[in-house]
Amino acid sequence: MAAANRKTHAATRLRLVFACAIAAFASAMAGAAEPVDFGREILPILSNNCYHCHGPDEQERKAKLRLDTREGVLGTGKSGAIAVIPGRSTESELVLRITSPHEDEVMPPPEAKQKPSARQIELLKRWVDEGAPWGSHWAYQPSRRAAVPTTRSGGAAIRNPIDNFVVARLEREGLKPAPAADRRTLVRRLSFDLLGLPPDGEIVRAFLADERPDADQRLVESLLASPHFGERWSRHWLDSARYADSGGYLNDTARPFAYLYRDWVINAINRDMPFDQFTVEQLAGDLLPNATLDQKTATGFHRNTLKNDEAGADREEDRCKVAVDRTATTGAVWLGLTVGCAECHTHKYDQITHREFYQLYAFFNNTSEKDLPAPQPTELDAYHRALKIWAVQGSEIEAPLTARLPTLLDTKLPAWERAAKLPVARWTVVQPEAVTFVTEDDETVLTAAKDHSIESTTGTLRSRFIVAAKLKQKAVTAFRVEALTAPGKPVGRSKAGDFALSEFSVLAKTGDGAQRKIELTAARADFSANSGAASESIDGMPNTGWSIAPEVNQPHVIVFELKAAEDFSEETTVYFELQHQAVGLMKRFRLAATSSASPVEASTLADELLAIFDTPPDRRSRGQQLALTRHFAGLHDDEAKQQIATIVAHEAKKPVHPKTVAATLVAEERKTHIHVRGDFMQKGDEVQPGILAALHAFTPRGGKADRLDLARWIVDPANPLTARVTVNRIWQSLFGRGLVATVEDFGTRGESPSHPELLDYLATEFVRLGWSRKAIIRLIVNSATYRQSAALRPELMDRDPFNTLLARQNRNRLEAEVIRDSFLAASGLLNASIGGPSIYPPLPAYVTAVGRDTSWPATTGANQYRRGLYIHLRRNIPYPMLLTFDAPDSTAACFQRERSNTPLQALTLLNDPVFFECSQTLGRKLSAGPGPVDAQLQRGFELCLGRAPTAAEMKSLQSLHRDQLALNHGDAGAALGAVARVIMNLDEFITRD
Amino acid sequence: MQSCLTRRKFLTHTATGIGGLALANLLRGDGLLAGPAAQPHHQPQAKRCIYIYLEGGPSQMDLYDPKPTLNKLDGQALPESMLKNMRFAFLAKESARVMGSPRTFKRHGQCGMELSDLIPHIGSIADDICLVRSMHTDQFNHVPGQLLMNTGSAIAGRPSVGSWLGYGLGSESKNLPEFVVLVAAGRGIPGGSASWSSGFLPSKYSGVLFRNEGAPVLNVDNPPGITDEMQHRSIQGVTELNALRNEAIGDPEIDSRIAAYELAYRMQMAAPEVMDLQGESQETLDLYGVDRNEPKIEGGNRGGIGLFGTFARNCLMARRLIERGVRVVKLFHASWDHHSRINVELPHNCALVDQPIAALIKDLKQRGLLEDTLVVCGSEFGRTALGENRPGFRVVTGRDHHPNAFSLWLAGGGIKGGQVIGETDDIAWNVTKDPVHVHDLHATILHLFGFDHTKLTYRFRGRDFRLTDVAGEVVPKFFG
Repeated sequence: MAAANRKTHAATRLRLVFACAIAAFASAMAGAAEPVDFGREILPILSNNCYHCHGPDEQERKAKLRLDTREGVLGTGKSGAIAVIPGRSTESELVLRITSPHEDEVMPPPEAKQKPSARQIELLKRWVDEGAPWGSHWAYQPSRRAAVPTTRSGGAAIRNPIDNFVVARLEREGLKPAPAADRRTLVRRLSFDLLGLPPDGEIVRAFLADERPDADQRLVESLLASPHFGERWSRHWLDSARYADSGGYLNDTARPFAYLYRDWVINAINRDMPFDQFTVEQLAGDLLPNATLDQKTATGFHRNTLKNDEAGADREEDRCKVAVDRTATTGAVWLGLTVGCAECHTHKYDQITHREFYQLYAFFNNTSEKDLPAPQPTELDAYHRALKIWAVQGSEIEAPLTARLPTLLDTKLPAWERAAKLPVARWTVVQPEAVTFVTEDDETVLTAAKDHSIESTTGTLRSRFIVAAKLKQKAVTAFRVEALTAPGKPVGRSKAGDFALSEFSVLAKTGDGAQRKIELTAARADFSANSGAASESIDGMPNTGWSIAPEVNQPHVIVFELKAAEDFSEETTVYFELQHQAVGLMKRFRLAATSSASPVEASTLADELLAIFDTPPDRRSRGQQLALTRHFAGLHDDEAKQQIATIVAHEAKKPVHPKTVAATLVAEERKTHIHVRGDFMQKGDEVQPGILAALHAFTPRGGKADRLDLARWIVDPANPLTARVTVNRIWQSLFGRGLVATVEDFGTRGESPSHPELLDYLATEFVRLGWSRKAIIRLIVNSATYRQSAALRPELMDRDPFNTLLARQNRNRLEAEVIRDSFLAASGLLNASIGGPSIYPPLPAYVTAVGRDTSWPATTGANQYRRGLYIHLRRNIPYPMLLTFDAPDSTAACFQRERSNTPLQALTLLNDPVFFECSQTLGRKLSAGPGPVDAQLQRGFELCLGRAPTAAEMKSLQSLHRDQLALNHGDAGAALGAVARVIMNLDEFITRD
Repeated sequence: MQSCLTRRKFLTHTATGIGGLALANLLRGDGLLAGPAAQPHHQPQAKRCIYIYLEGGPSQMDLYDPKPTLNKLDGQALPESMLKNMRFAFLAKESARVMGSPRTFKRHGQCGMELSDLIPHIGSIADDICLVRSMHTDQFNHVPGQLLMNTGSAIAGRPSVGSWLGYGLGSESKNLPEFVVLVAAGRGIPGGSASWSSGFLPSKYSGVLFRNEGAPVLNVDNPPGITDEMQHRSIQGVTELNALRNEAIGDPEIDSRIAAYELAYRMQMAAPEVMDLQGESQETLDLYGVDRNEPKIEGGNRGGIGLFGTFARNCLMARRLIERGVRVVKLFHASWDHHSRINVELPHNCALVDQPIAALIKDLKQRGLLEDTLVVCGSEFGRTALGENRPGFRVVTGRDHHPNAFSLWLAGGGIKGGQVIGETDDIAWNVTKDPVHVHDLHATILHLFGFDHTKLTYRFRGRDFRLTDVAGEVVPKFFG
């Protein structure tokens, strides 16, 4: 751009800044005839200028003066002067101080760097002179449904009551609304706003050809009914749910099933689940009577918090942090209040005390996390199909043995049993209380399985398992470790299926804290590798150990004898330590203890079989007898041995049940204390779950209030905030700006609504329409206000630079995901399937290599062309394209995305491999389509932008094509690809007009 | 980045809808990457910053803070009074014992600064650096510690130091981002990009990850098969059609978009030049040790193998970047987290970084850049005088995380070199003189750039946030 040109623009914009101030002033003057509105006009001034020292926070209060209550305002501070004398502004200390010319008198004091404007001082004076009427902050007052105003103009400008409110306001300002957008623009706008996708050519053609008077509404209805509607609107919600596919912090642990919550949101929105139910299920679905898995899955909302599972992190500290986040997020999402500001002290500006913060916190303190098995129908179908086939094959494979065993039972079992040498020792399985897995850098908590076995989750060497248990057993003579495996599967984690137990040691800690090492004198194993004797696991040398190669596909056993028999009382905790230095880890193991006399054998004979042996034959069941027969047949009968080997091989092929789990909340009662200055270790008074006194009444179901009571209180129609906050965000999603511009803050420091009656109308209408999201969206998009042209109105740039008055629509750059979707859709590459696990579009390795988890299993095939919404969101390595276009990083709830405009965006649109592929694909498609070139150019332009090029644009396209054709040595596809790339880089392509 | 546009932002940046962010940019005429959102509060001494971050917590008593008493107490327990109220990541404090240090310390420079035998090259710049032996922090785990050091808060989502500087200063470069990050990953940075994130500030203040080979920035290379000529013609086409559209629309946002494409093109042209070390003399390359041979290390190194060249090139790149107007360069090397094998891995890591870091200071100085370039070299915390005996460690060969006292140094940009600030007790356990908290460090860094840390604020969620949260005192000793 030429420098001169730039200057002109700069000048225009300088004027704008001035104009902005003037406009604000003018609009204040316009309302001069009406009495001052305390809640909307005065309270924000007091809050912003005075409450830091004279507000609700007692600890910060100066001069014993508080100005956030009527008593305070009419009273005196330390100086003795009355702050406000109703009707007499010239005598009121408040006014005198604010207008004082003396540095040591003026308020706020000079060091506060905060001063009310001349206009605000004028308002304050008028308010005092009008008798200083008091009231509460506007947002705390119930929504009032004002009469729909009449307007002078009618016709096309008024399509529904929204327009009455907007046009009446415009008329007061002496303005007219903008004309309606043309139909091509409208269909594109609606498609982006409702589906997050550009309209496909068919829809545009059908709409343009539809001459029925209600064609517009029909279009809206078909878009509302599209399953892509849920995708689009779920993304808005997921921003505030701080949704991600990993847990953040050092490990940034993957959450492979987080998508279940994301899909719950998509489905709920597609089904138009009423917003009150939508709320209750997410905050307390688990507490609903007979809660379904779906309702529990909804509580995944608050499982999206970050989680610090760094080794050595203080777990309780993190649990408290998570509960604080849930409290603050709930307040921000539903109440639009900066509740989080009261974590360390009473809110400086709003009516939220430190105690009240912890009353809200108590709801989430009384909460734990639970992962519920939630295999998806498609996964289950596949699993069951495979299982069925496997079982059928299995019974065929089993048949010969099943037929053979009864004969063997009758003919051979008694003799076999007589000849058998049974081990003497009987074992009691150790039931672990806590299991930790410690590596050089890290520590993980493991959970023992139902059979008390412990499975390793990684193969990290130079590591150890530490198993704590209470044995409650007398005269223990030996311990046993069983290395377990599924039939036919390797028992170790090395490549060869091997493991090496470097060291095994045992420590006992008694109730008084004394600890001692339990001395082990001998180790025996059922089998040992040539260089890997059992004794090497207690030789004190970590570089040697017990190993079992090459017998890797079967279970093994090692026993350790104690130097002297030990009694382990109830107070004693025993710590077993299993160290793996080299070779490989055991895949799964189980511990046991015995009080049998030594020497004890290392026998792989299962405890269950031993129990059968110990039962006299006449008291055994037929099944038990068959089990014994099978055991012996496997040892002595050649034919049966063969058959068993085949069966074992088949066992190894057993399909695995889907491991999908839903992250949910469950109730768990705890004591809640105030955290003094927000420090979880400094406990203040105990508090009970409760709500904010400034808001409506709270009626818990009885007993101690829980999350379900909180959720119902939040969606109580008496709540002045939830409906307003929610319709305001919906409005923002459709206009780019809320009626309350500070969508995240409805407190006294937030902005007042530009159209308070309209906001209240929509809020009450939302509730009246059964909290239907689709109904309120329908109402808004069918208004003439929404359908106005977005063209800038130069004559209003000075008066209303932010388009607060809604004298036109806004031009908004598309969100990150929608930009991706638009490229994919225009090129025809888009895979429009809905839901399921997140995808990993290919990325260069150096981008993913900065975090600890460097794996990025690139998605291939058609799945890589799915919508942006489905891109795996790893908190430590957010997908660069999404971040470049201002998608949130999911550390905290986001209610409004930045819409930046940067060179990195230009580089991304130009050169990102996905976008480049899209443009080339489109180029080839155009080139393969009917000619001549001009028609191809025109078609590409229309396909991407939804309109025909102007003559000047056509000329530019032709010249571009000519040059690119030459540069590409006559390659028609490449030249059209270049043109497509240019069109897809246009501002218009990534803008919703 | 989440961003909640508040009234303040509407007024300072102006908003979308009328061309928003373009305003500040266009007013500034050229620096389109990011306009300053604030004016300096006083005359700045530093204009650019290079922040060398050695992730993991290097051992202060083995590098910067000589403690002969350690060897005398080797193998002894600490009195309980010193352990009470301490939280450790792994160490079992009941049975932990003091671990001596095999390092020898020597005086360096005219100032006679005592430094370890592991960092002789840094010794050679002793007169230029201000060594702070009295740093302390609140956090004893990596991610919260790194977040506090890099963003002023232990909770993720806050803007990094570099982002705050960008927000306050704007960009100097016409064709490069204002805040560049170079990573020699080692075993990976625990917090990932959170350490250079713009948090709740607009995303344009975010650090941009550069590589030191191949395409330096994601998407800075033309796609395969696209020549510079084709690319240029395409951008020309975009500009032309955008301008035509703007004749009908008149949206300043389109002007911004046009300008962004111009800058993107300039960046494409400029970036390869930054990477190209052809123009550097052999003397310079040798100074940084770009072609050094890497010694063998037994049993591997968690700080990475094969990174000697990478780190040296990163240091050289840092100089080249700031020469070309980049405001902030952040250099990462991970990891210095020596829970075990400290006497094997620490020397290897030191050999890796010592020469290139010293070379960077010397190079900046001889080019006259050091005086207004602030260089910081540090980490999130230090290490314990106690040997680490976490359950399961049979042999004690390392040290645990230690937040109470650690060392860090600064140079250039108004810093008074050749001085040591602060003292610790006989085992580097607690600070005994001139404590400097992380917030104090940040307050001082902002001061050097001309900002009062209490006034450089950004309204988010109803609160005016600042880098130093509610704390921080400028330490005048830093600049004498």
